[in-house]
Formats: sequence, C-alpha cells, structure tokens
Amino acid sequence: MSIEILLIVAFGGAFLTYFLGKISHILRDAFAVLLSCALIAFISYFYGKDIERPLYVGFLEMQLLLRLNTLSWFFAITVSTVGTLSIIFSLSYIRQRERTDFYYFMMLLVNASMLGIVLSGDLVSFYIFWEIMSWSAFLLISYNRGPALAAGMKYIIMSVIGSIGILIGILSIYTTCGTIHMTQIAAQLTAASSRYIIFIIITFSVGFGIKSAMVPLHTWLPDAHSQAPSPFSAVLSGILIKMGTYGFLLIMYVIVGMKLFLGLGSGLFSVNYILCFLGAVTAVIPTFIALLQNDAKRLLAWHSIGQIGYIIMGITLGTSLSIAGGIFHLLNHAMFKALLFLTVGAVEYRTGGVRDLNSLGGLIKRMPVTFTAALVGALGIIGVPLTNGFVSKWLIYKSLILEQHPFFAFAAFIGTWGTLLSFYKFLHNMFLGQLPEKYKDVEKAPFSMQFSMIIFSIVIILTGILPGIPLKVINAIQTSFGFGPLHITIWGIISETGTINMVNIFFALIGACVIVWLIFRAGPKATKITQDNNYAAGAAIPKDRYHYTVDFYNPLYRMIAPFLRDFVDEFYMRLAKWIQGLGNGVRRIYTGDVGYYVIYIILFLAVLIFIQMKWSIW
Amino acid sequence: MRIVEIVVSPIIAFVIGIFLLGLSRKIMARIHWRYGPPITQPVIDIIKLFNQTSMSHGRLFNLGIILSLAGSMVVVLFLPIGKLHPLSGSGGLLVILYLMLFGPLGIALSGGEAANPNTSIGISRTLVLALGYELPLILILLAVMSHYRSISIVEIVRAQQETHWSLLSFPLVVPGIAYLLILPAILGERPFELIKAPQEISSGPMVEYGGKYLALATIQHAFSSFISIALFVNLFLGGSSNPGFFIMKVIVVFVVEVLINAVFPRLRIEQAIRYLWRWPALIAFAGLILVYIFKR
Repeated sequence: MSIEILLIVAFGGAFLTYFLGKISHILRDAFAVLLSCALIAFISYFYGKDIERPLYVGFLEMQLLLRLNTLSWFFAITVSTVGTLSIIFSLSYIRQRERTDFYYFMMLLVNASMLGIVLSGDLVSFYIFWEIMSWSAFLLISYNRGPALAAGMKYIIMSVIGSIGILIGILSIYTTCGTIHMTQIAAQLTAASSRYIIFIIITFSVGFGIKSAMVPLHTWLPDAHSQAPSPFSAVLSGILIKMGTYGFLLIMYVIVGMKLFLGLGSGLFSVNYILCFLGAVTAVIPTFIALLQNDAKRLLAWHSIGQIGYIIMGITLGTSLSIAGGIFHLLNHAMFKALLFLTVGAVEYRTGGVRDLNSLGGLIKRMPVTFTAALVGALGIIGVPLTNGFVSKWLIYKSLILEQHPFFAFAAFIGTWGTLLSFYKFLHNMFLGQLPEKYKDVEKAPFSMQFSMIIFSIVIILTGILPGIPLKVINAIQTSFGFGPLHITIWGIISETGTINMVNIFFALIGACVIVWLIFRAGPKATKITQDNNYAAGAAIPKDRYHYTVDFYNPLYRMIAPFLRDFVDEFYMRLAKWIQGLGNGVRRIYTGDVGYYVIYIILFLAVLIFIQMKWSIW
Repeated sequence: MRIVEIVVSPIIAFVIGIFLLGLSRKIMARIHWRYGPPITQPVIDIIKLFNQTSMSHGRLFNLGIILSLAGSMVVVLFLPIGKLHPLSGSGGLLVILYLMLFGPLGIALSGGEAANPNTSIGISRTLVLALGYELPLILILLAVMSHYRSISIVEIVRAQQETHWSLLSFPLVVPGIAYLLILPAILGERPFELIKAPQEISSGPMVEYGGKYLALATIQHAFSSFISIALFVNLFLGGSSNPGFFIMKVIVVFVVEVLINAVFPRLRIEQAIRYLWRWPALIAFAGLILVYIFKR
C-alpha cells in the first residue's frame, strides 16, 4: 500500500460524497463517516514509516513528490481525527439545513487538502494543496450567508495576500536552488547567505502567519470563526490554523534547518527571538480581548489566537523542551478548541441558534453531557492539571524560565489567567446560574453530537494523565529536527531541571477527592432544592431573569477595555477604505460613454506613434 | 516513610490553618477592644455545622466543593513543610501554582450551580481579585525562579539554607516586599474581604452553603490561608529544616499581617485592583528587572 492511494481516496471520496447525496441522504452520511474513519485507519497504518514517492513527473519538468515522516504523520492523524469527529457531529447539526451535499463535499475536501499539505514533499504540490484548502475553507465560512459573506471575504483577501507571500518565497527558492524538493533545498540552503534566508523566512512567515492568525496578521479570524457553521469552526480552529504552524515548523526546522535558523541575527534581534516576542504579544492581548466578548463563538475565536501565541513561543524558542511543548500544545489545542466549538454548536442547535452569552443560563440541568464536555474543554485550555493542556503549558513555561526569558514567561502566565476568567464566564453564562423560563424544555444534545464530544473529552483527559503517549511521537519529531532527545516516560518527563509525573498527581488528587467525599458522605444527607428556593436576604426571587451575566467582570472591564481595542484591525480597515477610495478615483476614467473610450484609444495610439517616431523601438 | 509524610502534611496544614483562623478573630477582637471568641471557635463551628441539615442544588454543587478542598489538600503534598515534601519530586513550583487553581475554581463551579445572583457576584469578584494579585504574584515567582534558575521549590529552599534568606539578600528583597503587600489579598483578609462582604452580597460565594457545605468551605479557607503563607516562608524566609520552626515562621508572618491590616476598612473591588496593579505590581516588576540585571 502506498501513500498516493491515501490522497486519491481522500479527494475521490469527497467528490463521490457529493454525488451520493443526490441519490440518498442516508447513503451520503454513512459514506462520509466511513470515509473519514477509513482515512484514520489508513494513516494509523503508516505509523513510524518513512516514505518518499514521486507523485507526478510532468509538471513543467519538475517532479512532484509525496513524503511521509513522523512530522507529517503526526499532523495527518490530528487532521483526520478532528475532521472525522466534526463530520460525525455534523450528522445532526446540518440535517435540517439546505445545501447539505455541498457542505459535506467541502468538509471532506478541506480535510483531504490538509492531508495533501502535510504529505507533500515539494513546494509546488504544497502550494497547490494550500490553495485548495484556502478556497474550500472560504466557501464553508460563508456557508451561512448574511454576515458570514463579509467574514469569508475578509478571510479570503488576507489568505490570498498570504498565498502571494508564499508564492514569492517558492519562486525565489526555485530560482536560487533550481529545485522544489524540500530535502534538496535544505541541502542547498546551508550555503546561502543569512540575508537571503531572512528574506525567505519573512516571505513565508507572511503566509503562515496569516493562516495561523499570529498578531498582527490575525484580523480575519474572529469574524470567520464565529460566522462559520460550528462543526467547521471546530475544524477551522482545531486544525486549519495549525497548517500555519506546520508551515512554520517546515520552513524553520526542515527547510532552513535548526542550526541556521537559530543562528540568524544576534541577541535581542535574532529572528527566533523576534518571532517569540510576537508569540508573547499574541498570547496576551487577544486573550484579554476575548474576555470582553459576549458571543460564545467569538470568545472562543479570540482564544484561538491567544493559544497560537503559546504554540509560536514554544516552537520559536528553539530548545528541545520548548519545541516539544509547542508541538504538544498544538495537538492539545486542536482537541480542546474543537471540543469547545462543538459544545457551543450543540447549545446553538438546541436553543435555536442562540449563542449570546447574556441570554443563556442554567443549561447544566437540561444538557449535562454537553456541560461536562464544555467543562473538560475549558479545564484543558486553562491548563488545569490532569488535562493535556497542563502538560504542554508546563513544558513551555519551564523552557521560558530556564532559558532566562522571564518576561515571555510572564506573558504566558498572565495569558493563562485571562483564559481562566473568560472560560469561567463562558461556563457560567451558558450552563450555570438560573435557567430562563423559555429554555425550560430544551432537550439534551442528539447522540451523534454527544459521541464526538465524549471522544474529545476522553482524549483530553487521557493524554493529560498519560502524556507520554503523544510525547513519544513528538520526541521523534524534534529529534528529526536535530534537537537533543528528551527522557520521556509514559507518565511524563524526567529531567535534572524538573521532573513531572502526572500519574502521581492524578492519584494524589483522586485520593484526596475520595477522602473529602467520605467526610462529605458522613454528614447528614442534604435536601435537594430547586433554583427558585434561594436565599435573597428576605426578598422574593423573581421568576425569570435573575441571572447575573451582563458585564460579568464589570469593574475589570471598565479598567482594561480602553486598552483592548483591536488597533490592527482598525488600521487594516482604514487601509482598505483608502484603497477603495483610490479605486473609486481610478474608476472615474470609465465613464460609460463610447465617445470617451474612442478618445482614449486615439490618444494611446498617438502616444505609440510618437514613441515610434522619436526613438523607433519597434 | 513517604506514606507517613503524605498523611502528616495535610494534617499539619489543617491544624495550623484552623488555628490561624481562630487567632485572627481573636487578634481582630482585641484590636477592636472586644474580648472575642475563644481561639477554638472555628473548630466548634465546624463540628456544629457538620451536624446540621443542609441543602444541595445538584451534583456540581456537591462536586465543586469536594474538588476545591481536595485540590487544596494536594497542594500541601507538593509544598515543603520543613523537611516534609512527599510529592515534590513529581513537579515543582509550576505544579503548585496550578494546583492552587483548584480551590477557587471548585468553589466557583459549585457556587455557579447554586443559581443565586449573590453567589455569581461574589465569584466574579473572587476571580477579578485573583487576577489582581496574580499579576504581581507571577512577577514575584518569576523573579525567584529566575534568580535561583530552578523551578523546584525544594531546590529554592536548599539554596537559601546554604546561603541566607531571600528576603535578606539583595535583588530578591524587592519581590519579597511586593509579596508582603499582596499577601492580605491572597488571604482575603482586610482590606480585601470584599469577596464575602456580608453586608453587601450576603457572604457572596458562601451564600447558598449551609451545614456540611459551609464546614468544608471553612476547612478549604483554612488550607488556602496556610498555603499562601507557607509559600512565602518557603520562597523568602528560607523554609526550615524542621516542621516546628516552619510552623513558627508561618504563625509569625500571619500575626504580623493581621496586626497591620486589622485597622483598614474594606476596599471596593476596583480600588483593590487599582492598588494591586500599582504599587505591588510596580515593585514586583522592578524586582524582576533587578534580578534580570544582576544575574547570578
């Protein structure tokens, strides 16, 4: 079995799903789920293999190449897992909507193109798959129409700018090195001047930075994530923006190479230090902007940017510990952020499209499984021990502190506190507090939704208690970059500068919980009461709206809100206005009157004749 | 041996924590020219509360309070008390910092299900205040960790015992002072008792707790008081080589703190944040810069 079959199945299956949908909806749904599960099985089969195969030879006499190694395997399995669970979630989410065939087609196409990106071994096929991903994502972002169209437009404009950056990089590399194969480029670039390499890194960083939504290239993300259909938001935030970080890993450590990359510039002005600084900014400011949001999905979207900051800090700091932390956090973020978007999707589905944090409440009583999933996801993104987010953040903090970057570490810590505050608000305003009358009969989420959410929750807890499972693969990736191996065991990491043992922490917590629970049980049994039976200092509790949600952290908002405008977005918008004005000015030339056009043509010919007579060029 | 330590550490923390609660009420009363309750009053309260009936709002209401107390108990296992540090080999200061989240988070989740607006307001204040003191606290901890180039609290204590206390050595005295300035906020003592504020929001997060719930919440408060002072003693007062001296240091720090703060009236939440982000944060920031400049 070879890997081109994998891509053929992925792409062919996507097209086939569209046509099956014309025959029967059930057939299409079953096929879409089976196809995604088959892809997971396929990819798992390739675990630990190192394959390089020519895909197609005749493209402008360049050889297109497929290549599978630990790095691409890791990304491929993440892509296919999140993709599959989102498809399963979609089964009930999208059922009553229109254009469902198109929806499934695009979902599968995005997943297939992402597999293509991570499996391509040369820059041209990388770029082709990258464009397929960008455009099919655009179609899905604007699936809901209305404000989603504007969000999609913003996304695709920024995406195209990024693609141009990548294209310039690829063309420049091809003219310099005469090859498009990543391994051959890597060999040739060792002799290149550091100025040239900085140029290459900047051009690629524009593209990858836009896709991974790094500040100041993030402005498309909050709109796109909140407007897309929820299962696709999960894919978008979980894996699509990770393609940007995959690109960063590729350009930094595969193409340019570790030694060369970490040696660029010096001291505070080295390239990796600057990128790390951008990562720190990305980790703090968007997180606190998220705190001010009232739309559940917009809140999650801003946190996606914030968490990308941690990943960027991890992978650009450039020690074996930090790279492992960065890549692990990337996997974890894919899991818990996808889960969180799915829980919002489930709430939205049951409450008739409501995701305003100020009008929900008390849903824990009606949707307990969804609440539990949201809680696990929130604990994961905060990084509470026993979830995977804790281990990856621990690795990043530790490497920042031991590498003597206390200010970056400060950014990482304070970002975490912002995350804690906004995720408590997220949980409280949706699931806790008083249940409004109108949501009294909300049903629990359908099975397919619960299934995806439960699987994600299990993965988050499991990799939190036994982080050795993913860290083993991650260790192989970072040794392939040329970093020193870490001492990984199934329960954590052993090192002289600080060991972590999640299993011990797990048993300590479980033990303590059991003891406290026994004490709790020993007391007299509590009477169960309803939400109306509350102490309000003698006042009667009004029946419906008695839920403290609006401006949940009011005193804090008043202090920090003035500093947390998205200045970058405002700047881009002003730029866009200016360009539009320029375009309007230019458009005045086109009056619509044929007489003017005749004059233009005659003037143009006159100029040509004048040039010919004066200098006789032709 | 380790099993004994695992059992003994939380017991010490519990006893001392409860004692500190009683002590603070007594000292406070004497400053107010009252006689005050006996020092054992919190113990009497807990026993009494355990025998009373109580009300529950649901599963998370029960689970949250259990998780909160369990989390605080586990922190003690990672924190050196004299020579007792049974689990510190499984993770360092960063783990302690994160395990300390369980206390407020558990209460917050439990209180959230209570569906009482007073609770929600109290929790909102708790978390905002926590953000307020965490900002200087993180700067302080980073200064200490960068200075000793270690994330292991046992290493930090050992380094101090070989030389001298951090509070008496040059760059670290600055973050030490900042820690003393934010300590009342961490403890929730005056003038930062705005979370409970009985006259305004009927005890905030505690309003729906009664009977055994209130007892567990009181025990949790005792644990967290002990932990926040024990952290200071370990990081700045050189810990100790035996638990007796360690406990002495904890009590002295607590009494000094109570004596100073007993005379202040309660702050509003935004005044508290403004204070915490001004002087303590500035001093802590200066401390971190000094540590960064005077690298060992």
